[in-house]
Amino acid sequence: MSTEQESIDVGQVEAMLRQEGQRRAAGNTQAFLARHAPFNKMAPAALQLFAEKAHIAFYPAGSLIVGPDSGNVRFFYLIESGKVQARQAGEVTVTEYSILSLGAGESFPIGAVTAGRPSTNIYTAVEDTFCYHLPAEDYLRLMASSPEFNLFCTQYIASLLDQSRRQLQAQFAQKASEQQTLNSPLAGIGARNPAAVQPQTPLRQALESMSQLGIGSMVVTDAELKPVGIFTRSDLLDRVVLAGLSLDAPISEAMSATPFMLDEHATAYDAMLAMATHGIRHVLVTDHLGRLSGVVSERDLFALQRVGLRQIRQAIESAPDVAALKASAADVRQLSFNMLAQGIGAEQLTQFISALNDALTRRVIQLNLERHDFAGIDWAWLAFGSEGRDEQTFSTDQDNGIVYLVPDGGDQEALKQRFLAFALDTNKDLDQVGFPLCKGNIMASNPQWCLTLDEWRAQFSKWIRTPEPVALLNATIFFDFRPLHGKSELADSMRRHLLSQASATPVFLQAMARNALEVGPPLGKIRDFVTDLEADHPGKIDLKKYGSRIFVDVARIYALAAGVHGTNTIQRLRLSAQKMNIRGEEINAVLDGLNFIQLLRLQHQYLEGEPGRQGDNLIDPEKLNELDRRILKESFRQARKIQSRLKLDYQVNN
Amino acid sequence: MISGLRKFLFGAGPGEHLPDDVKAALAAWQESDAGALESSHFMTRYVVVDIATDGQNPDSDRITGIAATLVHQGVVSPEQSIFVDLAGSTVDDATVDRQLAAFLRFVGKSPLVSYHVAYVSGFLQQLLKKRLGIGFAPRWVDLTWLLPAMFGETSHKPMPLDDWLVAFGLDVGEGRRSPTANSLALARLLQMTIVRAHAKGVDTVDQLIDESKASSHLRRTH
Repeated sequence: MSTEQESIDVGQVEAMLRQEGQRRAAGNTQAFLARHAPFNKMAPAALQLFAEKAHIAFYPAGSLIVGPDSGNVRFFYLIESGKVQARQAGEVTVTEYSILSLGAGESFPIGAVTAGRPSTNIYTAVEDTFCYHLPAEDYLRLMASSPEFNLFCTQYIASLLDQSRRQLQAQFAQKASEQQTLNSPLAGIGARNPAAVQPQTPLRQALESMSQLGIGSMVVTDAELKPVGIFTRSDLLDRVVLAGLSLDAPISEAMSATPFMLDEHATAYDAMLAMATHGIRHVLVTDHLGRLSGVVSERDLFALQRVGLRQIRQAIESAPDVAALKASAADVRQLSFNMLAQGIGAEQLTQFISALNDALTRRVIQLNLERHDFAGIDWAWLAFGSEGRDEQTFSTDQDNGIVYLVPDGGDQEALKQRFLAFALDTNKDLDQVGFPLCKGNIMASNPQWCLTLDEWRAQFSKWIRTPEPVALLNATIFFDFRPLHGKSELADSMRRHLLSQASATPVFLQAMARNALEVGPPLGKIRDFVTDLEADHPGKIDLKKYGSRIFVDVARIYALAAGVHGTNTIQRLRLSAQKMNIRGEEINAVLDGLNFIQLLRLQHQYLEGEPGRQGDNLIDPEKLNELDRRILKESFRQARKIQSRLKLDYQVNN
Repeated sequence: MISGLRKFLFGAGPGEHLPDDVKAALAAWQESDAGALESSHFMTRYVVVDIATDGQNPDSDRITGIAATLVHQGVVSPEQSIFVDLAGSTVDDATVDRQLAAFLRFVGKSPLVSYHVAYVSGFLQQLLKKRLGIGFAPRWVDLTWLLPAMFGETSHKPMPLDDWLVAFGLDVGEGRRSPTANSLALARLLQMTIVRAHAKGVDTVDQLIDESKASSHLRRTH
């Protein structure tokens, strides 16, 4: 055997060891990929391809990574740690972002590497940064072999939004399943660690504790906390008072022995069945050692019954009084939560909430009309603001008004007083039902907003002719109106008037545009988000003020300019986009951005809001998961984009 | 018995008991040049290495694995990595010897980089001497001493490796790292170090080793 022949063996061994080394080193990269979208959704083989082929490069702060002068892009770059800034090269167009910053898990320049052309952006490390370099040919192989990766790259924004929506849904689904159903284990239902006494405890002492704790039953356990009996109020009558038992007697003489017990893993359904078959009102819950861990009462189980849309609607429409409507309002909240869990998007959900809130409001109006008669008079109840736009989340104040016509020969002042009295009752009842009184007093009971058709028209004209700050602020509330009850023709007439006046007054639209551009999305130049805009809430972003409102304001201006009758922001943007020559895909990206922000608001209000308290719109971006943070950033970029367009269209220079 | 003792005391020297292909590979390794193209860090082929042992004592413990990865032309690449698994008890002597020869082929005469070089090199030297009869004395770059010299603003004194990784915000995962994960973490530190070294006018591997030695001397004695 020749030496040469032998030496190939060491060479072969080296090849094997290298293979093992590559496999292990790739494992290290895979662990990183598994924590970032879209890689965490990709098949293991695809991840392995990425991990085995990608190099790791270091870019110190301030160094150029890739730019237009670097020639055709050779790598797909994925940031492992650090921060990268992307700047548009050459003349910056106002309709696009000019600077954005990317962090760990984000990749670039997707368009350029796919097309094999130079990057149009300049990518610079703003912090010490490690990047994975996936060579272009491996990138293309991965695009061809991994559907998830392909989707990610080709539908960059859309796919991200979608993933996030699905993730949100998963979160809601989990929350909903944590919510109790008849299949829930008893461990999570009813009272935990209930009060208990030992059998020798004198009755007097047990009754005193029951009275102090305000409970209707007392569990009796032995020294090891195993239940031996239960004493309830009904036992007090039968076995103590009527039996003439002394209060000094031990409780064991009056309790029901061998109480019904279920393991804490049994379900609510088991407990319900037991109550029905044994005619009992309480089931004791025990842990794996047979020790008392809880008590489930009949009432706890009733609370688990789910509510459905039809029942709620029926309940609202036939509600006899405000108290019944209040209960229905709670059901609306519960049902919307369930719907969110089933994956209903923000657009449909806010419309759904609005629809049921409309039903609630209408019923409140109807109930009040039983005491206030306006027969023979043309009038309508108007909703303004978010209610007027069909965009209610749960923390929405009431914003409403009345429009009416004075019949020939009628006394206007007397009629107005009747409407105001009716409105005052209605506003108070709406507050009872769960729509808090408007702090700015934009309510039908305010004489300013209970006007005849002519007065409304004059008011609109005045705001449009003299666009001073107060007028502009009012325009953002009152121009989003919708009739909820009564003659909708009156509202149509108001709308025609408004649109003809507004579209004919460019100075007004320009003033509105300037106003709308005063607040921009909280995107940082270096950091992802600016979180110190609200002095009272450091570290938080007001998603309404710096998010959804930007879209809403821009949509209103375009709708007024384009003569769009709708008030809903999404409708307004879709309809006016056609008239304003905004491309469909462009407007879809904008709407996705708005929907995401709305979804985050709903999520925040539902998941984090304390029950019974109004949710706010303040989120801490640090607490979002990384994917949500990235999408929020993208959504804000869409806000900035649409603002840039407005700026251009109305030649606002600020 | 006597030959075993002789072997233990003096080492077998290359050749004799080794298979022919291993002998040939070792001869080729010994004759090979130190990298001719070491005019810059970018051109230098740095071999970052880490080992796993079954204890802490170089005299009595066994190496159970060697992981090495290259930092070459600015990048770390999984394709330029190696792993020698010495933990298997079933592996016969000839296989181990062949694996170690393959490891030497991979390393060539390139400079080696590690953390606490004395510990790592002690194990490797002893193993290679015992198994292959080779005196293994490569150029070593010790990041333990180099990092405080290069990143004095972070720490003037040597620190545990994890403290450096945390200080630089590197994503290194949790818990105990495998030798591969460790060598990849060290490779990233080396990438940062050579950029910093260049900025300080320390432009070649030999200058880098001098810096490392000077730092060790300075920081040990003062």
